[in-house]
Amino acid sequence: MASVEIQNVRKAYGDFEIIKGVSVEVPDGAFVVLVGPSGCGKSTLLRMIAGLEEITSGTMRIDGRIINDVEPKNRDIAMVFQNYALYPHMTIAENMGFSLRLAKTSKDEIAKRVVDAARILGLSDYLERYPKQLSGGQRQRVAMGRAIVRDPKVFLFDEPLSNLDAKLRVQMRAELKDIHARLKTTTVYVTHDQIEAMTMADRIVVMKDGLVEQVGAPLDLYDSPANIFVASFIGSPSMNFLNVHVGADRRCVVTEHGVQLPLAAEVAASPETVVTYGIRPEHLFVTTADDGIPMTVTNVEPTGAETFVQGTVDGQKISAQLRERVIIKVGDVLHLSFNPSNGHLFDTDTGVRIG
Amino acid sequence: MLKRKRFFFAILAILPTLAIFAYVRLYPIADTLRLSLFQWNILSKNKPFIGLANFRELLGDHLFLDALINTTIIAFGVLVLTIPMAMIIAAMLFHRTRSRMAGFYETAVFIPHVVSLVPAAMAWKWIFDARLGPLNALLDFIGIPMQNWLFDPVLSVICIIVLCSWQALGYAVLIYLVGFKNLPVSLYEAAKLDGASGPQSFWHLSIPMLKPITLYVSVVTLVSGFNVYAQAFVLASDAQGAPGRQVRVLVLDMLENSFRNYRVGYAASEAVVLLVIVLGLTLIQFSMLRERGKS
Repeated sequence: MASVEIQNVRKAYGDFEIIKGVSVEVPDGAFVVLVGPSGCGKSTLLRMIAGLEEITSGTMRIDGRIINDVEPKNRDIAMVFQNYALYPHMTIAENMGFSLRLAKTSKDEIAKRVVDAARILGLSDYLERYPKQLSGGQRQRVAMGRAIVRDPKVFLFDEPLSNLDAKLRVQMRAELKDIHARLKTTTVYVTHDQIEAMTMADRIVVMKDGLVEQVGAPLDLYDSPANIFVASFIGSPSMNFLNVHVGADRRCVVTEHGVQLPLAAEVAASPETVVTYGIRPEHLFVTTADDGIPMTVTNVEPTGAETFVQGTVDGQKISAQLRERVIIKVGDVLHLSFNPSNGHLFDTDTGVRIG
Repeated sequence: MLKRKRFFFAILAILPTLAIFAYVRLYPIADTLRLSLFQWNILSKNKPFIGLANFRELLGDHLFLDALINTTIIAFGVLVLTIPMAMIIAAMLFHRTRSRMAGFYETAVFIPHVVSLVPAAMAWKWIFDARLGPLNALLDFIGIPMQNWLFDPVLSVICIIVLCSWQALGYAVLIYLVGFKNLPVSLYEAAKLDGASGPQSFWHLSIPMLKPITLYVSVVTLVSGFNVYAQAFVLASDAQGAPGRQVRVLVLDMLENSFRNYRVGYAASEAVVLLVIVLGLTLIQFSMLRERGKS
C-alpha cells in the first residue's frame, strides 16, 4: 500500500496540452475514481501514473518517492486495461504468473500466488484455459488476477468494466469493491460512468478538459457540486438548470415570467442578478395546484417504481423523477415542489456555485 | 427450388475462373504426373508407358541426388537465415514507424525483392569474386585470409543461400511488419508493467503471437527456396566457367534432362519428387497453423 501524490502535472503533445496542471492526492489504501467525459485526460493521467506516458512537467510521487523518471516496472504498480490485455497465447495461469516469471520468482512461489489469486477471484477451474475460452467477465477477473499476484503498492484500472454488459458490470462493481475491501490496496480507477464512480469510490476526482473540476467524497459531490459541470455530470438523471434572476428579497429566485423558486438562505448576489438555479429531478415531488411550480408535461415515462416526467417551466426544460404514482398525460400541468435546501445556485457566467 | 437455382447460378458464375484455374494450375500438374510415367524424348510421337522406372532410376542418379541435397540445403539455409532476420528487422522497423526515415528503411529492405534476379546475382557475383570482389578486399584489410567464395563447394552453397536470403528478406520483412502493426499495443504496455524489457517482450509476446505469420512466411520462403535456379545458374560456375555446375540444383537438373538430354519423362519424375517434397512440407506447416488455431 502507498499514497499517490500528483502535483501540478502537465502533459502536452507538441503545442497541444492534454493535462493542464492537475494536483490530486490519493491517500494510502483509498479507492479514488477519476471520472469525466471522453477526452478530459483521465486515462492519460492514469497512464502517466503507470509510466506509459511521459510527464511534461510537475511531480508524481508514489509512497513519497518521485517517480517521474522511474521505469513502469520499477513503480510497483499493476494496471488493468480496458480490453484486459491478456496474452492470448498463454494460459490463464501463465498470464497471471508472467510478471513473477520475469522477476525470476521460483516456480513454487509463482504457482502458490497464482492459485491464491485464482481462489480470490473464483478462477481456480480455469487456470489451464486460454483467454479466448473465457467469457468477458472471466477475462476481466484474469486481468485483475494478474494485478493481484504482483501484490503491488497501487492498482490502476482503466475503464475495466466498459466492455461488459450492464448486468455483469453491476456484479463486477460489487466484486471489485469487495476485493478492495479485502486487500486494501491503494486504487486509482478511471471511468466515464458516474454511477460506477459514485458506487465504488472513497473519493471522486471530476475532470474536464485536462483540469480537475472537483475532488471529494461521492455524496459531497452530489450534495454540493462546485460548479455547473460537476452538478450536471454527477447524478442520474442529470440536474435541472433554470435561468433565473435573484428576487428582491434575495431569498428566492424568479424565472423570466415570474415563477418563484425559494432559496434555503439569503443569497449574496444583488437582486436582479442573472443566475442559474439547479434542482435534481429526484428532489421534486407533486404538490397541490395552488402550491409549487407549474410544469407543462411534454413526456411521461412510467417505469413501475418511478415515473420520469419531462416538461417545461416557464418555457425552460425540466424533468422530475417521481416516486409516487401519478396519472398524468402530455399537456397536463403538474405542480411540483421541493425542499429549498436541495436547490443549488450557480453564477451563470463562471458556472461556480454561489449558494 | 430457389436454393438449387442459386447453387447452379453460383457454379455458373465461378465456372470461367475455375476453368482458367484448372487450365493453368491443375492441368500442368496432372500432365507432369502423367509424363513422369512415360519415356519421351520431346520430339518422338512414340511415348511408351514405363511405370515407375523413371523414379527407380532417380534413386541411383548421383546428379539428381546431388541436386536434391544442394536444393534442400539451400532451401532450409534460406529459411533459417531469413525468418529470424526478417523478424528482427521488422521489429526494428516497426519500432521506428513514427520516424521520418521509416519509408526509406522499409523501401531499402524491400528493394532486393523487386530487383531483377539476374542483375542482382551478377552484382553479388562481383561481391563474391575472389580477386576483384569487395568482400575479399575487406577480409584482406582486416587480416583474414581471402576465400575462393564461388569455387569452393561449401562456400558456393553459402553464397547462394546469402543471395537467396537477401532477395527473400524484403518480402518476409514486409509481411512481418504487417503482423507487428496488427499486434495490440496494450499487450506490450501490459508486458512493460509486468516488468518485461524490449527483448523480453519480443521473445515472450512478438514471436509467439506472430506464429501464423512465421508459418506463412516459412512456406513461401521454403517453396521459393526449393525452386532456386537463376541464383545458382549465375553465381556458381564451374572452373571452366560453365554456369550452374558448381552447385547443381533440382530445377537446373530438370531443365538439362528435358532440353539438353531430351528426357522429358525423366525430368517430369524429378518435378514430381520436388512437388511431393514441397507439398509435404507445406502440409506440415499448415497443419501446425491449424493446431495453433484450435488451441
